[in-house]
Formats: sequence, structure tokens, C-alpha cells
Amino acid sequence: MIYLDNAATTYPKPEPVRRAVAAALQQYGANPGRAGHDMSMAAAEEIYRCRTAAAEFFRAPGPECVAFTLNCTHALNYVLKGLLKPGDHAVTSCLEHNAVARPLYALSKGGVEVTEARVFPGDNDATVDSFRRAIRPNTRLIVCTHASNVWGIRLPVERIAALGHEYRIPIAVDCAQSAGVLPVDMADSGIDYLCIAGHKGLYGPMGTGLLITAQGGGLATLVEGGTGTNSAEPEQPLSMPDRMESGTQNMPGIAGLRAGIEFVRSHGADRIFRHEIGLVQELYRRLAAMKSIRLYTEEPDPRYFAPVLSFNVGDLPSEEVGRKLNGYGIAVRAGLHCAPAAHRFCGTLRQGAVRICPSVFTRREEIGRLVQVLSAIG
Amino acid sequence: MGKPLIIVGSVTYAIKGRNILARMGIRSYVERVPGGNCQTCLYVPEHTDEAEDILLRYGVRVTGRTERGGTL
Repeated sequence: MIYLDNAATTYPKPEPVRRAVAAALQQYGANPGRAGHDMSMAAAEEIYRCRTAAAEFFRAPGPECVAFTLNCTHALNYVLKGLLKPGDHAVTSCLEHNAVARPLYALSKGGVEVTEARVFPGDNDATVDSFRRAIRPNTRLIVCTHASNVWGIRLPVERIAALGHEYRIPIAVDCAQSAGVLPVDMADSGIDYLCIAGHKGLYGPMGTGLLITAQGGGLATLVEGGTGTNSAEPEQPLSMPDRMESGTQNMPGIAGLRAGIEFVRSHGADRIFRHEIGLVQELYRRLAAMKSIRLYTEEPDPRYFAPVLSFNVGDLPSEEVGRKLNGYGIAVRAGLHCAPAAHRFCGTLRQGAVRICPSVFTRREEIGRLVQVLSAIG
Repeated sequence: MGKPLIIVGSVTYAIKGRNILARMGIRSYVERVPGGNCQTCLYVPEHTDEAEDILLRYGVRVTGRTERGGTL
């Protein structure tokens, strides 16, 4: 199989990740930090190592700022529903995944106002200005994607964070598509809430995600329960990470995530990015030369794009193209990619699109094979 | 006299604190606090007061002091 659905989840997982998961099941079989016995403490130490790895990788203030979640959607819900109250206003972008759009929609039913700022691909000044014009006196949060999961279009999140801070508005960034691929530096960018998928560009197992923030104590909780600390108190702990981590943790997943972060670090996120964007650029050029292929963006410029490319084959429904590619042993994602806003932006809401996303393991020949098969289909 | 224990906010802070103290040359051990409230502490056999100051300086949430057999 040629796997090009890495924007949904990366496959294969690196060998060290698979080994770490298996080792965790064997060595860290106790509930981490809940008891004082050796295996429980060893499990807690392993979880702490992952917190430290994540904090260093994203330059967070400290490992205690790292909370483990089920996925990026989970982390985003914690921030949006933990922060926004009736009467508040939030600014978001026109490219959001449903992980942002649906919680905002639900909140809007309860009296939260939302404004979509337009994104101008390749023109960061215009995009930042668009966000500036969306800000109101009651704006409580800016929340946006770092890179569109459909078109790869990057948002200038560092500049948007600086803009927000001028108005004392925090920013939450959906890094589902960017973590491990694009630079994400909490210390330099001033991003307040990083929401991250562990199973995509960080190569961890599915069921892992991260919320990284120094301001977790200010978030209302969506889930309360046992944290293994101060059990006599009826209130959920105020401090991170316990505030956001009720119930037993995904110990094997977290051990795998640590191995994934170390894998990315050892390969170099910048090298991985150059490899993947190079493949996407080559694919773009070859598709652009095919009459039957519809492309919707400019050729991906590394300054403005993440390595994700979506297209259509004439008027063929995207799901039909996906099905045909599957028949040739090529795995892609078709449809709306849980991001109707992004499809509305490019006029593909009815047809959807076929999405290609390489990983560190994708080879040039595999892209060549895709082009060959598309020629036969188109 | 019992073992001096510095109670911290969570096991995360306990491990963080232990690592900070180790860098300063102070030995400490992550343990559960005696009693039934599910708290975590650092057993710091020597230089306990200095260790507590260091922990506070480095942002480790210290919530109290105790020793095995009674509260200080």
C-alpha cells in the first residue's frame, strides 16, 4: 500500500514508537503516580519524561504546562469551553476544522459571538489585518488553525498572537497539522494555548494529544474526577496538569508519543518539512501539467504552506476518485475532511477534494506512482 | 526526629522538584505522604529548608511540610 493519508494520522509509526508502546505495556503496567509502589512511580516517571520532551520540543515554560488529552479536538474543546462564556466574542479563521468550528457553533447557541476572519494565502499582512478588524471590545479569545488540514495554507500565528496580545486577548492555536512539521515555539510566539495531535506529525499512537499552556488554572473544567492528588478535596485541582487530567492516563500511548517526539527531534522537524514539502511541490507541478486535474491554490511556497495538497479529477466526485485510488493500493482521504469552512473557501463544498499528505517515510517513487494512476483515472 | 518531607502539588511537581534539587546537589526522593489524602512529597534527608527555598524559587508548588509521624 502507498499511504498518503498522513494528515489524518501518520502511518507507519516508527519502530521506536512501536517498541515504546510494547515496553510500556510490559514495564509500566501500574496506574501512573496513583500509588507509592515502584511500578506506579516508574510509570509516573515515564509520563513525566514525555511531558518534559513535549515542553522542550515546543519550548513551553515547563513540563507541568503539558496536559495529555485524547487528541487535538479534545484539547481545543478544553480551551474553547473552558474560557468562553455567554456574552464573550471569539475570532476564528475561515479555514477551520470542525474541531474548532463545531465547539464554537455549540457555544454560539449559548450566547457566544463568533467572527470568521478571512485568510489571504501568501499575504500575511492582509490576513493579520483581517484578524485585527474582527476584534471587538468583548473579544475573549482568538482561535485558529496553524495550517489548513485541506489546503495546507499556513496562518501567521506568531503575528496573530502578537496582535492579540496588543489587545490583551489570548490565542489558541490548532496545531493538528503542524506539530512536528512546522516550527512551533511557545516562548518566541507567545501563543497561549497550544492544541496538538500526538498521532500525526509527532508519530505517536492514536489516542494521544496535548494541551500545552501556562494558563490552565484559568480554564473551567469539562471533566472532573480522580487525579491521584488531594483526594479529600471536593474541588478539581487548580493547577496544571492535574486540572485537565482526570482519570487514568493512556500510559502506553504517552510512552509511544515520547518516542515519537524523540524520533522527530532526531530527524529534525525542518528536514522532515523540507522532504515533505519537496514531494508536495513536485506533485503539484506534475498535476498542474495534467488537463483533467483541478488545483485550488498556488504552487505551495514553503513560507506559506504546510505539506498538504488537495485536488480533484475533473467533475468526478472526490470520494469516487478515492475509491479508485484505493483499488490501486493508494490510500488517500477524499470528501470534506471535517472542514467544510475550508472547502467553502475554495468552492469545493459540493465535490469535496482528494487530499494527499506525505510523511517522513514517503518516497518520490510513490508520488510518481500516484501521478501515473491519476493519469489512468482522469 | 522523623524524616523531613516537603509536600508538593502533584507527582509532576515532585519529579520536577527532585530533578531541580539533584542539579543543586541535594538528594531527594519522591514519595507518597503518609495519611489518606493522596498527596505526593519529596523526602529530603539533608538541607531540607534550603531545598524548600529552591523549590519555591523554581516555581514548584510547595503545599506544606511534614515528617513521618507528625506535622511540623
